[in-house]
Amino acid sequence: MNEQLKAILEVLIFISQEPLTLEKIKEILGEVPEEELRTTLQTLQNDYSSDERGIQIIQTAGGYLFSTKPEHDQWVRRLLQIEKKSKLSSAALETLSLIAYHQPITQAEISAIRGVDSTYCLKTLLLKKLIKIVGRKKAPGNPLVYRTTEKFLQYFGLNSLDDLPKEEEITKILEEEKQSIS
Amino acid sequence: MEQEIQDYQMQNETGQPSPDEGYQVKLEIFEGPLDLLLFLIRKKKIDIHDIPIAVITRDYLEYLEKKDQINLDREAEFLFIAALLIYIKSQMLLPREQEVSQEDDPRRLLADQLLEFQKVKVACSILREKEENQLLRWKRTFMPPVAKPDELDLLEVSLFDLAETFFLMMKRKERENFQVIKGKDVSIEEKLKEIVSYLEKKGSMDFLEYFSRQETLEEALVSFFGLLELVKNHTVIALQERLFQTIRVWLRKDGHHQIPHGQNYE
Repeated sequence: MNEQLKAILEVLIFISQEPLTLEKIKEILGEVPEEELRTTLQTLQNDYSSDERGIQIIQTAGGYLFSTKPEHDQWVRRLLQIEKKSKLSSAALETLSLIAYHQPITQAEISAIRGVDSTYCLKTLLLKKLIKIVGRKKAPGNPLVYRTTEKFLQYFGLNSLDDLPKEEEITKILEEEKQSIS
Repeated sequence: MEQEIQDYQMQNETGQPSPDEGYQVKLEIFEGPLDLLLFLIRKKKIDIHDIPIAVITRDYLEYLEKKDQINLDREAEFLFIAALLIYIKSQMLLPREQEVSQEDDPRRLLADQLLEFQKVKVACSILREKEENQLLRWKRTFMPPVAKPDELDLLEVSLFDLAETFFLMMKRKERENFQVIKGKDVSIEEKLKEIVSYLEKKGSMDFLEYFSRQETLEEALVSFFGLLELVKNHTVIALQERLFQTIRVWLRKDGHHQIPHGQNYE
């Protein structure tokens, strides 16, 4: 069963264009115990992790997904005749990380910390589907409230919001910076 | 202070268009935009006691009078920052029985925000690394990038959608009550070449806009059939951002950009 299960899992992940979650796999392979699924997925991932393979199975946005390795980027771009993919502007990235850490958050709260108006950035991020509007805050003016999306996790290769750099890490980096200046 | 000014410039690298430079403060000890001044006060690089707010206000009013157009956003921002400056200064000027405690320092609110902002900066640099790493990975979800990055998430449309949009457009044209009859004959093959070379030059085209540019009904019809042909043989791809919106057409990256020959379209 195990070899066959591995093959089936490989097929399911290959066919999925979005990260395939464990819940979804359980739904499809109802009778297989979760523990067995997990270990088989792990061996499948190990099979692919060898240096001889160009394709990997990564865990992102809470699911499994086929991906090429970063070192082969230039070959893919040569094939598709594509220049480098465009990055987020620093203003957009700033706004996005504020939302990631403080969600749910309103535009006024974002602008207050950044010290500049963020309307334009929010628009770009909404267009790129990296953030979404989740409702209105019960405050004067009932401002809109923003959150990050699944696509945000995928975009940064995060499995869940818990994978964001922790507050302690950040404080540590800030202190190190301070020391190196003084 | 140079380090701070650099920090400030990085912070303000917003990527947004700034139509004009805005008001520049000119004082003996400081020259530049007002928010830079605030930034330096926050960092306690400049003592607010040394800043004559009356002078700034008077100069600013003169500057406003001279302008014939006002950028409201920018001026609102100026007022906000000026108000903060006045608040801080008034608080600092008040005589107090005891030394101001850290808690009550009016600069504290600003300092806190600045700290929060520095944290965000660090988080940004970590996320940027992750972003760069992810951009090097290619997934099966990948679709040939089309035109500008902010036009992601387009739907590929079917021939029926194309047809529907076309007839919608034709109805509109009909209402314009066209009466001109021209003797010009257009062949589908000519149109195919025209569309492909247009796409090769411009990258993409707006379906509706393209057809409304056609001179006659006949020509519009012919180019429509030409486009259908191109979609069918995978030379071009037609995408629509949302239902009922305009349809944009791109050359397929993998296509051979061939114009089918030798077929009889009559």
